[in-house]
Amino acid sequence: MPDDAAPLLEVTDLSIRFGKAPTNLVDGVSLTLERGETLCIVGESGCGKSLTALALMGLLPMPPARLMSGRAMFEGRDLLHLPIAELKDIRGDRMAMIFQEPMTSLNPAIKVGEQIAEAVRRHRGASHEEARARALEMLMRVRIPAPEKRLDEYPHQMSGGMRQRAMIAMALANDPALLIADEPTTALDVTVQAQVLDLMRNLQAESNAALIMITHDLGVVAEMADKVAVMYAGRIVEAGPVKAIFDDPQHPYTIGLMSSMPDLGPRGGRLVTIPGVVPPADAMPEGCRFASRCPFAGPDCAEAPPLSDFGGGHRVACWRAPLEQAAEPLQTLGGAR
Amino acid sequence: MTAVTDAPAVPQRPRSRVWTKLRANPSALLGAVLVIFFVVVAILAPLLPIPGPLETDWLAVRKPPSAAHPFGTDEIGRDVLSRMVWGAQASLLAGVVSVLIALALGIPLGVAAGYARGWTDAVISRVTEALLAAPFLILAIALAAFLGPSLTNAMIAIGLSAMPVFIRLARGQTMTVMTEDYVESARAIGLSHLAIIWRYILPNIFPPLLVQATLTVATAIIAEASLSFLGLGQQPPSPSWGSMLNIAKNFLEQAPWMAMWPGIAIFLVVLGFNLLGDGLRDALDPRDH
Repeated sequence: MPDDAAPLLEVTDLSIRFGKAPTNLVDGVSLTLERGETLCIVGESGCGKSLTALALMGLLPMPPARLMSGRAMFEGRDLLHLPIAELKDIRGDRMAMIFQEPMTSLNPAIKVGEQIAEAVRRHRGASHEEARARALEMLMRVRIPAPEKRLDEYPHQMSGGMRQRAMIAMALANDPALLIADEPTTALDVTVQAQVLDLMRNLQAESNAALIMITHDLGVVAEMADKVAVMYAGRIVEAGPVKAIFDDPQHPYTIGLMSSMPDLGPRGGRLVTIPGVVPPADAMPEGCRFASRCPFAGPDCAEAPPLSDFGGGHRVACWRAPLEQAAEPLQTLGGAR
Repeated sequence: MTAVTDAPAVPQRPRSRVWTKLRANPSALLGAVLVIFFVVVAILAPLLPIPGPLETDWLAVRKPPSAAHPFGTDEIGRDVLSRMVWGAQASLLAGVVSVLIALALGIPLGVAAGYARGWTDAVISRVTEALLAAPFLILAIALAAFLGPSLTNAMIAIGLSAMPVFIRLARGQTMTVMTEDYVESARAIGLSHLAIIWRYILPNIFPPLLVQATLTVATAIIAEASLSFLGLGQQPPSPSWGSMLNIAKNFLEQAPWMAMWPGIAIFLVVLGFNLLGDGLRDALDPRDH
């Protein structure tokens, strides 16, 4: 057993490149996660958050993907350099993943109960009956109504929310220590979203599993996270406790992200957007990757800023941090209010 | 957890929906009726009140249809109806067995190519393409000639010639299914390659293969008839529709019925398998689900 003082998962300097691309799509990502903790990775599409998750699960197709550097220590073993057979033993057992699309993530040709049971049989060597009993127990735990009946249904007979619950049941069937959820609620209705998030939180509390939640929905972050990592163009630009990130965002990208979130109440004008687009992988600037869209960018931004700690575990990769006043530059960032 | 074992039965499964759609399709139904008719006739051949297919009646040579011989008699006085019935056995057997051979070889190779990619795929695909470059019937004739004339060899030849189609279909379908999220989630629960292929790939590539198999049975029956016509299939005196046609061509003017019945039978059984195959294709179409 690994020593208990070490964090459950410690990722250091993870870099991934695709094919012959000149730059890393995931660049120097470092994360730590304790037991029972929830880390939300936020960022727009293509920022590398899903790649990071898939790399941890060992699900990235290599090639074309190439691991440039990095270690991911999980319960004393480096996930990134583990023999595939060992990785397969961990996957679905000690760590599990929930995917974005519940409609397509279940095998349409197998009954839902059998799919859950499969994960149990694979890792626990359980008999058919034991695995089936466990599947039923899991369906109850994810609060699917009439679980005895659902056990023998095919995925197409279930609604999206119910399928996502079934996916969660499958992922948690072997009590993993680490659960990675890649946008688990994006494909669901808003009301169902809330239920599924609620469910995940309860199950996590019961099992003390750590959760990495990948999302672009800041509402989900506020609801779920203990810690947040904001990713932009393959790098973590800001990370820290959820309260620090929401109350006192330091990186211009995080500030932009926060202000582009619509809030309820009287309309204060147009939604704030961040001008420009993410630089393409073959034209990634040398220094700060956000510089081309940043209202604060200066000549020093040609050199990449390190992810420095500004107290309380709040880390920011920006030469301008810590910011004194966000109000003035926000005007510039968001355009006409 | 004893409640688990007596869980209530599922009211509606995908397969029952396929049945419903198949039944509502008149041409598929006609196809099924034709196929079932010939299958039943072939199976019941020994029980039917007909003369043996090899029994000759020298007093009734090349007689047109009559009460005693409803389909007439052939050039050495054998009952054409009886030979048709027994010939159905050879034709259907050849059709089904050769397709089973093609499936047994084609699915593993195709799935292996689609799943492993890389070199495995390159080798299997190039060989498949080379085989596909030769026309189906020519390939079957060449193989049958090489193996030597017999019904068994004809089946092997036809099976091998039909195999590339299944390799290619299985490969393409496997590649499509591999991109599905559920294959990734299967990997995420740590399943082995074999388990993923067996439980996740095969069941999901099965419908198009079933359709192709049904349609290929029709092609294989024609191929068997062709080979037998050329003397490379069923050997005389055993009856087969193809060899009956071969002999009948010499007596087209004197005894046209000798050629007519095998011709009609081949037409109907091929029509039956094609209609059934088309019906299955419509019924299994996932876009309607």
